[in-house]
Amino acid sequence: MNKYITAFYNDEEDLLKGLKQIKAKGVNVADVLSPFPVHGLDTVLGLKRSKLTRVAFTGGAIGALLGFGFQAWVFTKAYPLNFGGKPFLSVPSFMPVTFELAVLFAAFSMVFAFLIHNKLGPGAKTVIHDERITDDRFLLVINLDEDDDPHSIEDVLAEAGAHGITLKKQN
Amino acid sequence: MEKKYFKSIEELRIDTSRENDIHAAGDKFYILDAQREALTLPSTTRRDFLKAFGFTIASAAVATSCEQPVRKAIPFLIQPEGIIPGKASYYASTFYDGIDYCSVLVKVRDGRPIKIEGNSLSSVTKGGTNARTQASVLNLYDNARHKNPSKNGSEISWEQLDSEVIAKIREASSSNKKIVILTSSVISPSTNAAINDFASAFAGTELVTYDAFPASGMLDANESSFGVPFIPSYRFDKADLIVSFDADFLGSWLSPVEYTKQYIVNRKLVDGQRKMSRHIHFEGAMSLTGSNADYRVQLRPSHQKMVLAQLLSELRQQSGSATPGLGDASNDVKELAKNLMQHKGKSLVVCGSNSRDEQLLVNEINQILGNYGATIETDIQLKTRQGLNHRVTRLVEEMNAGKVGALIIMDVNPLYDYPQAAQFAQGLQKVGMSIALNVISDETSAATTFVGPDHHYLEAWNDAEVKTGFYSLSQPAIRPIFNTRSAQESLLKWSGNNTDFRSYIKAYWQKNLFAADNSYLSFESFWNAKLHDGVFESGRKETVAVAYTADAVNKVLASLAGKTMADSIDLVLYTNVGVGTGKHANNPWLQELPDPVTKACWDNYVMISPRLAEELNISDEQLVTINDSITLPAIIQPGQEYKTLAVALGYGRQNTGVPANGVGQNAYPLLGSEAGNISFYIAGVALSPQNSSYPVARTQSHHSLEGRELLRETTLEEYLENPQAGNEAHFEAEHHKKSMYPKVEFDGMHWGMAIDMNACTGCNACVVACSSENNVPVVGKEQVLASREMHWIRIDRYYNGDINDPEVVRQPVMCQHCDNAPCENVCPVAATTHSNEGINQMAYNRCIGTRYCANNCPYKVRRFNFLDYTGADSFKGNRMDPTEMTTDLRRLVLNPDVTIRAKGVIEKCSFCVQRIQEKKLVAKTENRELRDGEIVPACAQACAAEAIVFGNLNDKNSKVSRYFASERNYHLLEEVHTLPSVGYLTKVKNKSV
Amino acid sequence: MYVSPIREPLIKGSKDYSQVTKDILAPMAGKPSKYWYMGITLAGSAALFGAWATFMTVYYGIGTWGLNKTIGWAWDITNFVWWVGIGHAGTFISAILLLFRQRWRTSINRSAEAMTLMAIACAGFFPLIHMGRLLLGFFILPYPNTRDLWVNFNSPLLWDVFAITTYLLVSLIFWYIGLIPDLGTVRDKATNKIRKAIYGFLSFGWTGSARHWSRHETVSLILAGLAAPLVLSVHTIVSFDFATSVIPGWHTTIFPPYFVSGAVFSGFAMVLTLLIVARKALNLEDYITVGHIENMNKVIIITGSIVGIAYITEFFIAWYSGVEYEMYAFINRATGPYAWAYWIMMTCNVITPQLFWFKKIRTNLVATFIISIFVNIGMWFERFVIVVTSLHRDYLPSSWTMYKPTIVEVGLYVGTLGVFFTLFLLFIRVFPVIAIAEVKSVLKATGENKKDHHHE
Repeated sequence: MNKYITAFYNDEEDLLKGLKQIKAKGVNVADVLSPFPVHGLDTVLGLKRSKLTRVAFTGGAIGALLGFGFQAWVFTKAYPLNFGGKPFLSVPSFMPVTFELAVLFAAFSMVFAFLIHNKLGPGAKTVIHDERITDDRFLLVINLDEDDDPHSIEDVLAEAGAHGITLKKQN
Repeated sequence: MEKKYFKSIEELRIDTSRENDIHAAGDKFYILDAQREALTLPSTTRRDFLKAFGFTIASAAVATSCEQPVRKAIPFLIQPEGIIPGKASYYASTFYDGIDYCSVLVKVRDGRPIKIEGNSLSSVTKGGTNARTQASVLNLYDNARHKNPSKNGSEISWEQLDSEVIAKIREASSSNKKIVILTSSVISPSTNAAINDFASAFAGTELVTYDAFPASGMLDANESSFGVPFIPSYRFDKADLIVSFDADFLGSWLSPVEYTKQYIVNRKLVDGQRKMSRHIHFEGAMSLTGSNADYRVQLRPSHQKMVLAQLLSELRQQSGSATPGLGDASNDVKELAKNLMQHKGKSLVVCGSNSRDEQLLVNEINQILGNYGATIETDIQLKTRQGLNHRVTRLVEEMNAGKVGALIIMDVNPLYDYPQAAQFAQGLQKVGMSIALNVISDETSAATTFVGPDHHYLEAWNDAEVKTGFYSLSQPAIRPIFNTRSAQESLLKWSGNNTDFRSYIKAYWQKNLFAADNSYLSFESFWNAKLHDGVFESGRKETVAVAYTADAVNKVLASLAGKTMADSIDLVLYTNVGVGTGKHANNPWLQELPDPVTKACWDNYVMISPRLAEELNISDEQLVTINDSITLPAIIQPGQEYKTLAVALGYGRQNTGVPANGVGQNAYPLLGSEAGNISFYIAGVALSPQNSSYPVARTQSHHSLEGRELLRETTLEEYLENPQAGNEAHFEAEHHKKSMYPKVEFDGMHWGMAIDMNACTGCNACVVACSSENNVPVVGKEQVLASREMHWIRIDRYYNGDINDPEVVRQPVMCQHCDNAPCENVCPVAATTHSNEGINQMAYNRCIGTRYCANNCPYKVRRFNFLDYTGADSFKGNRMDPTEMTTDLRRLVLNPDVTIRAKGVIEKCSFCVQRIQEKKLVAKTENRELRDGEIVPACAQACAAEAIVFGNLNDKNSKVSRYFASERNYHLLEEVHTLPSVGYLTKVKNKSV
Repeated sequence: MYVSPIREPLIKGSKDYSQVTKDILAPMAGKPSKYWYMGITLAGSAALFGAWATFMTVYYGIGTWGLNKTIGWAWDITNFVWWVGIGHAGTFISAILLLFRQRWRTSINRSAEAMTLMAIACAGFFPLIHMGRLLLGFFILPYPNTRDLWVNFNSPLLWDVFAITTYLLVSLIFWYIGLIPDLGTVRDKATNKIRKAIYGFLSFGWTGSARHWSRHETVSLILAGLAAPLVLSVHTIVSFDFATSVIPGWHTTIFPPYFVSGAVFSGFAMVLTLLIVARKALNLEDYITVGHIENMNKVIIITGSIVGIAYITEFFIAWYSGVEYEMYAFINRATGPYAWAYWIMMTCNVITPQLFWFKKIRTNLVATFIISIFVNIGMWFERFVIVVTSLHRDYLPSSWTMYKPTIVEVGLYVGTLGVFFTLFLLFIRVFPVIAIAEVKSVLKATGENKKDHHHE
């Protein structure tokens, strides 16, 4: 059983200001839930740049290779046929399919990576801390260790102008 | 080393003797290799077992997994002698229907005649055919055939028919009434004999010859000029200058196939030939022959007699003697006369008119030019036109006078094609007993008391003497499909002779013809040889001496003295290359055949000159009424003489099959007559436009080349100077030929086709042959109107020059089998690809019908099955078969070697790949290379003009390669760089004067 | 934060975040209006007409259309290309405008993308139905089979299969990824259980975590980067259907750029047609403002002008090439039997859009609506002119024919229109028509007033 504190702001500017204070006080903010992406938040929280780009690139590369390879195999090995006097390995003809498959693989590999990484997906079980975070609230989540004193942290939050400070338990 | 078992010495020989040439021939003779393997291997090995095992499992799986539609397959219980399933056998026979004659080979598959081919052993037709001959096989399977003997429409037995008919005939002859046998010209000596037997058995028997498309004018004329009514044998091949007055000798006149063969001898400029005849044609209505002439002079039919007379008097003057009192001849005529005089003995003047006077004039013209004995043979005579019109007229009178006790009609249809059909019908009521021995139900057999159906010619024995000494035989290619009996047998039976006609013919030949050929020991061997060849040319000549007398023609000239040419609107009535006289109107192939001139099908119509149409402001396809008797759509025909109309005969049939009934209007009642002879034009007709119009189905709607160099032509003069004349564009294109890809080389065979446009007359025989060989569906008028005809080969016809007097050019177009085929690139499912022998091939089963290939074909030769034309579709109840081509009976004509295409599939010319494969296998089993000219596609086989040449382009000595090497050769749209495998030879016209 | 006075605000009226949520979710709540019911009845019956036409085509065959031996394609491929073109606006707006950081896109991208998906679905229908043997259509897929037969990778029609499918799938996930946070909003605003459950399922358990947001932005950005070339490639490949052929009037190298700009042109026109009605019907005037409309009209002027130049270039090149078939093909377009179609195309595509140079017209909704309809018509005729007038008179005059559509072909076209509008009407009921989160993210920067802090 671990405890954590949630508090919210009604405005992203207040949120950023408050967040800076809280951090300065050495309180470790686990997560911030917001109705839309707040710019500058990831720097304050110190989030790393996502690696999804690499996934996309790899997926695209695989798609392209598969696409070209398959066509080349079909036309030179599996069943070489004479189409309008073209050579069996008519590279220009293979480009469109190669390109399309590259895009397809890149897009899908990345999206799946995104969902898996975020543990999101059809019917994913996640905690909804506050139904208004998808509307107009910016919610802080602060995990508490055994030795932390909730009250001091609550004071810090109050100072930083956060509303609705509540201590929650999660079993 | 294990033992080799062999069943026969041959096997052993095959095994040992051919070792060497097998190695020499490399992989070509794998069949033999297989044989050797089979002989060397033990009877069953593990592999064989596994093969068999695998096959069993697989087939079991297939059989059980998916539900197969039930198909009836009836195996031979005892295999008939001489029939190898899947292998075609050919029987020599003779096609003669009272209009056309052709010596043919009948292709029979599994007991079904499925295709007619020309018999090259005949020196009359020399292996050529025409559209009607090609189509005749479909008449065998005509839904409208008489299936049983009948009395007043109700079926009876032959015995009953015989007893009743004989009684009636006896009654007639005892009451001194006439017994008349009405038939088209009989060219069968045995039939004549049979008729004579009948005549001797029954007093008062008379034979009346009735030709639906007669030449009685010529017969009369020759009787007056030479004392004998006959039709000479013309030799177009011997003439350097051919002058035709309205004689459509390439299409419908007398013996078109024979004449085409002769004509092209002096028209083809290939293999070093540089000599070419000149053909001058006078006519009012644009005809097939006229459109092929070097010079075409427009002449109104009612003026023809005068012009002939003027020509004659010119010739007389130039040869000394004079004729007074004729109007001044035009310069054309003077020029023509001079020209003819220069070609004495090497010229030929023919006239298609049925007027005795005109034929008399022509006779003397040829006499003066010394053409008799040179280009006109009188000791060999054509037998296919013996009918004298006045004889029929008399018959009708006698019938109406009740003098005829019995009328036996042998496969003629006067109630349809006799101009005074009404009188004939009345007369028929007064005839004691009338019986029609017609094959297909028609107007006449519907009116006679009895019908004793004759065999179709492919079911019957018969013989023929088409020209003096040129005999040929017909033999059955199939057991009679229905309860029919040979007409001759009927006659024999009634005259008390029970022999079957075959033995009767045999007896006749033994008695009269065997003697003429002493190269055979026994008659049997003679008979078998002739039966095999189908023809026997005894070299017999007519013995009656013919001496020319000019009295008759002088009378004609005298009668013309001081006459002027009337200015009236004339109507020409002609027969086209399709349904002809209408006898074959029930043949869907012929109905859907586009007319070579108008490109229209499924109707007849009034051809009218652009000038007259403008004056009377008649628009295309507007209905017009002629003499208040017949109303037809008008077609504005470039090159039609100003005041000449033309209507095709042979349409408007009744009481026959679905395809023919009510198609077009019957124009026979319009026919006039002159001195007892039917005249095929009437002067001074009244033309009244209606204010409604009627769509005519045409396969070509645009008639100008738009100045495109698709069809290249030149004149003889220029050609002799520079063989490349008119073909400059080809060498230009060759010069610019570049490609980013290496050209595909075809090792082994590379099939190609060359078309000599100088030879092609546009007769359409190839179109029917192709439909017959490749099961091309017939789609009917509505679909043709929607431009969806399915023909794999078409003959494009273009006009150029003045619309009132244009040049006509024709070009047969089929799949060009391009080596860089645009169609192949675009098919998403690879349903059309290029074979390693250069053939652009279609996999019908793979086709999903995107029509992309058809769009991307620059030649527009690909055809799409828009609807279920063949009944091959998997859905029920959506069949589109307005012409009843998919009835069980009609389907017997299908060629089992060619797949039936389903709805939604693209199809096109395959170079008759099934024929190629067949011959390749023959060559393989005979362990030899293919010979050049061994493989003949259906179109080339049918072509009387030998315009189509097929062969291997890799073989530099093959005929097709020689054609390709000719300076005249070019490819259609070669600048598009599709590299077609079809070449065209430029058209050369002999214009120089 | 300072809002420059010269720039029009993107979102009108003083709104706070919850107001935005309310406004945008409003159309989804409550019973649909009677206009909605009328609309869906109309669209639905049109779809039924299409169903009948489809049956006729499959059962009796392509013969129920007006095609013939020379003209193998007409309305089928015309409609195909037209719909594909319309399907270009959505992805163009959300991808390319995203890359160009065009904030005004946020109000329209959602509906535009939805429209794209529906249009592509309608487009995909035609290559299928135009097959003579639809039931064997699966031959077009490269699946392993006992005969070891594969497809023909040289065929542009096959490229289409890959291009269209890819485009449909990528657009779909792009759209859905953008939709996830808003579905979360819907879920959290939902009052009844079932609704909450459904949207909870659809929203993939979205929490709005900062981490998710940052990754979400990366994904959106890269998807945009992928979709941008994709959207260009799709119509390029469609244009290959014609460009790689040998038919005069089809065999044209400028087709790819010309087709793409044409596609964006028609796409934006269709978006305008729909949104001008939708913003009124759903009272979203504050979100889809005249400013948005004007921006789109500017895109229309540009693309329209490009298309116009392409038309003229075609003519010039035809003349310049000196190829008689080429020259004839284009003279025939302007003066031949189908000249009327050509001039409708010219008027609608080249002349009418030029009216947008006037700010009065550009900012006038009625005028815009009418002109957008004109453009839709014009672009349909462009494809008709290319497909039919090129085919009906190509190389051999002997084969020249004419084409007339049948009721069945009309049915298929009307049918797809019906399906399209049915789907759109359903869409506005079940999904937020505007990207809520994205609007909120630009609200501050561009909203009319800075919202006060102490409202509670």
